[in-house]
Amino acid sequence: MSSRADILARVKTNKPKLLNIPNIALDVFEDGRDLLKEFTVKVETAGGQVFETQSKDLVVGEVQKLFPEAKVNFSTLENTEDFNTINLEAIKTPHDLEDLDVLIVESNVGVAENGAIWLNDALLPMRILPFITKHLVVILKKDDLVTFMHQAYQKLNGEDTGFGVFLSGPSKTADIEQSLVIGAHGALSLSVFLV
Amino acid sequence: MSHSKAATIFNKDEKKVNWHDKALWFVRHKRDKSVHSVEGWENLRNLGQGIKAHMLSNLDNYLIQFEEKALKNGVQVHWAKDGDEHNKIVHSILKEHNAKKVVKSKSMLTEECHLNPFLEADGIEVIDTDLGERIVQLAKEPPSHIVLPAIHKTKEEVDELFQEHLGTKPCGGDPQYLTGEARKHLREKFVNADAAITGVNFAIADTGGFVVCTNEGNADMGAHLAPVHIACMGIEKIIPKQEHLGVFLRLLGRSATGQHITTYSSHFRKPREGAKMHIVIVDNGRTEQLSRPDFRASLQCIRCGACMNTCPIYRRSGGHSYDATIPGPIGSILSPGKDLKKHSSLPFASTLCGSCSDVCPVKIDIHAQLYKWRQIITKEMKQPFVKKVSMEMMGKMFAKPSQFEKVGMVARWSLRNLPKSVINSKPNVWGRERDLPKGPKESFDEWYKNRKKNE
Ligand code: SF4
Repeated sequence: MSSRADILARVKTNKPKLLNIPNIALDVFEDGRDLLKEFTVKVETAGGQVFETQSKDLVVGEVQKLFPEAKVNFSTLENTEDFNTINLEAIKTPHDLEDLDVLIVESNVGVAENGAIWLNDALLPMRILPFITKHLVVILKKDDLVTFMHQAYQKLNGEDTGFGVFLSGPSKTADIEQSLVIGAHGALSLSVFLV
Repeated sequence: MSHSKAATIFNKDEKKVNWHDKALWFVRHKRDKSVHSVEGWENLRNLGQGIKAHMLSNLDNYLIQFEEKALKNGVQVHWAKDGDEHNKIVHSILKEHNAKKVVKSKSMLTEECHLNPFLEADGIEVIDTDLGERIVQLAKEPPSHIVLPAIHKTKEEVDELFQEHLGTKPCGGDPQYLTGEARKHLREKFVNADAAITGVNFAIADTGGFVVCTNEGNADMGAHLAPVHIACMGIEKIIPKQEHLGVFLRLLGRSATGQHITTYSSHFRKPREGAKMHIVIVDNGRTEQLSRPDFRASLQCIRCGACMNTCPIYRRSGGHSYDATIPGPIGSILSPGKDLKKHSSLPFASTLCGSCSDVCPVKIDIHAQLYKWRQIITKEMKQPFVKKVSMEMMGKMFAKPSQFEKVGMVARWSLRNLPKSVINSKPNVWGRERDLPKGPKESFDEWYKNRKKNE
């Protein structure tokens, strides 16, 4: 018998009788917190920063002020050819992105309860981008904020994406004597611009 | 070696034990703080428990559904009965792609199957990329905790290890500097890797996708750079629907470290263009555990580590004292199911205080299962002579109140009058590291009767 058949047969014999699947009722979680405030607090708790801005078009200028030293930049926004120092078409392997200083991308879901931001294949020209960049900047519409993960998944339902990530704060580790160090393997900083 | 013997070794360094104890208790506190900020936390735990229990009761169908969807997504699916088959499958995938350099992100399953030595024997370089795992890999030790693999190491020890293996400067154990050096060292490994291996936190039956959670971003750095991604999962990682992630991602980070969610919760569904993705589904004793009504709930575990952080025994004995891939309370109910003889001392490494069951996000009755294993072990295994005889004597004594009274009188007198050297003599393990109290003049029974008389 193949291992597949063997495992499935054993599960079938050994499993208990069918139990009901619980229904997720959302009203028990309502805490009446302010979406925007909660999201901001949670991004900051996770080590990121939140900025409010009038328009998407202002973000590049503000980012240049935030990271004056940055040399290698890329943004997925339209009309930012002046900002972009790399041409993704010319990049042959993801490894060529190793020196990326600043990346600006857009997100379509933000979660207030934990400051998580959704990025997926449709929003990322290459999957490695938000991880390999030194500084990550994400633009999010206030209207795209939801309270809990439950609502976030309601929004994502039916989205057929090959890859997506909920990202909360910059990369971090506390593996040396439990002291928190920001910037393990992924981005060293996260800035969220709310429009 | 029994758990208590191994714990004695860990306890030789008192300062370190105290640090270990406090550090984990601090993590438990962080968990409490973030959990208490969530309205409806107990409802969330009930949902987590209910979804997992349902999943186990329909697991074969969900596995079939998961495989079907994954195949449609362009992912190759493999099945392994045991650790050995798992290792062979991973090895053959690597061979097929001519992969010599592999980066691995945290996966307790590959630890359980002893994948690294298997691959290394064929000249394949396997680098653990989670910082904690890299530290223990350099030290040639297994992880001592499932979420904090190097929690038993001091920063000075890490400093020395890095000097020796990565050529760092002595820094008095500066975590910032050491982490920065590790980042550089591992960046080079990521960029040059031929394949990436990751674990799986959740596998979703209705999409064929899987989720990997890390704080460092190491799973993503590996998987999105290497041409091949192999994800290894136990059969119990399945959840029915993507929306169930809403429940589990709310539970996991908070229970593990007090974070409201891990930094990266990466949802993999299809390989990126030009790359390959494989999933290896592993049994290795899980279907057997599923057959045991008293213990099958242990398969609901989402590996958050909360039961370890809260356990008074774990905190003071260290993960290595369990001599098992998964240490701590949950490990102590999983391991005897795999090898009762080898792990027979583990269910006794507990005070049965129940704190583990209280914090468990999927409500596994851990302490009750520990108690059940104890009963099985006492019945099936030969007990040490002294323990057996003393238990029999105790049984007889408790059965006869008059005898119990007499023995009590002698004991109380002894505690008051015998010298400490006799009271704390070798056979009395309770006298080790502590002084016994002074024996009271009267027993509770006598005190109660006298009180009644004087009323
Ligand atoms: S048994 Fe529960 S508390 Fe322990 S690691 Fe598993 S899920 Fe976490």
